[in-house]
Amino acid sequence: MRNLLEFREYLRVFYSKYDVYVKPAGKFLLAFLVLQVINARLGYMDRINSISMVLIVALMCSFMPRNFIVVCATGFILLHLYSLSLEAAIVGFILFFIMFLLFFRFSSKDTVVVALMPILFLIKIPYVIPVALGLVSNPVSAVSAGCGVAVYYFLHFIVSNESALTEMGDDDMMTRFRFIVDGLLENKGMLVVIVAFAITIAVVYIIRRLSVNYSWTIAMIAGVLVQLVILLFGDLVTETGVSVIGVILGSVLALGIGKVLEFFFFNLDYPRTEKVQFEDDEYYYYVKAVPKVTVSAPEKRVKKIR
Amino acid sequence: MIDEERIILMTRMASYEESEGKKNIAIGNYFRSDYLSLQVLKAVLCGSLAYFMLVGAYVMYHFEELMSDIYRMDLMGIGKKLLTMYLIGVGVYALLAYIVCAWKYHNARKNLKRYYNNLRKLNALYKAR
Repeated sequence: MRNLLEFREYLRVFYSKYDVYVKPAGKFLLAFLVLQVINARLGYMDRINSISMVLIVALMCSFMPRNFIVVCATGFILLHLYSLSLEAAIVGFILFFIMFLLFFRFSSKDTVVVALMPILFLIKIPYVIPVALGLVSNPVSAVSAGCGVAVYYFLHFIVSNESALTEMGDDDMMTRFRFIVDGLLENKGMLVVIVAFAITIAVVYIIRRLSVNYSWTIAMIAGVLVQLVILLFGDLVTETGVSVIGVILGSVLALGIGKVLEFFFFNLDYPRTEKVQFEDDEYYYYVKAVPKVTVSAPEKRVKKIR
Repeated sequence: MIDEERIILMTRMASYEESEGKKNIAIGNYFRSDYLSLQVLKAVLCGSLAYFMLVGAYVMYHFEELMSDIYRMDLMGIGKKLLTMYLIGVGVYALLAYIVCAWKYHNARKNLKRYYNNLRKLNALYKAR
């Protein structure tokens, strides 16, 4: 445990010392990953489906605000969709436009979740996001998580029905448009996941703010259980075919990630909790003080032996 | 001689100014009513735009039926229905925007109060020198 705490201190010192380089590098990596995944999954437009293009845009993203990654990712997605079919691009544009206009105004801080969510869905661990957001953010983040889920399911629908879309003739513009809109709106699985994620974020947030010992651990366990129940119940009702084993494994992983976040952001020494009471002229105070678990990073000393 | 207390205070304030501070100071420049009115107005504009876009998408979706039935349709009735839906949709969105922005304003004010307290403390430290 002591080694882990020292490692955390090393990371903290490293970050505070080199944050000028760490932040742009992080943004570059994230943008690179997001754009590469988009190109790998969609990749209909040859001009932007190249590593050099991705590198240039990712480099641009590293010097811009974090939300610029989402803007670039949206641009890439719409261009690919346009290459596949104009109708897919129109529906995609309406979807993104409404998201930007109505929702991102309220949770601009974690808009990047929208770009991350499809990637996590691809590696089968999207259940991590609601627990993580509930722990480190606030309930408004449910908006970003919901938008991310909608984007993933929309793209998944387009990729799964790629051949159906291309096989329809040029005269079938309206049919194609209807086909895509129906695919998006009649996707009950998407609604179940959005509801599950929103409720999980709220549950985790409410419990982790309670003044009880081990509130973060209780919050993440409760969140994971709630999420599991809603997803499985939703699956029973709507018959969306959610993989039970996948959900359970994803939930276990969500707990693991939650513990890592707890270690970095809320590592408290509960056995040393102190409860004190005092008063002033106007109030009586009941104070509960929980010390943080800290160790100082060991300094390396070079001893010169002559 | 370096005054440690002053340096700590200044670092904390600078870090706040760099991150949340910019937004909070911008919000704090408004009176509560002005800020909320502006945000609700923006929400109404964005909501209207989104609504028209959705209506456009609906028209496109049902284009063929609409074209074939346009002379048989009760246009006044449809207009009333669209207007009611617009008022309800945009009204609910504006209400949500009001609640979220009121919460944001409250938080920004609270943080700014702490920031101004620190400023006062810093000023006192300079005077005490």
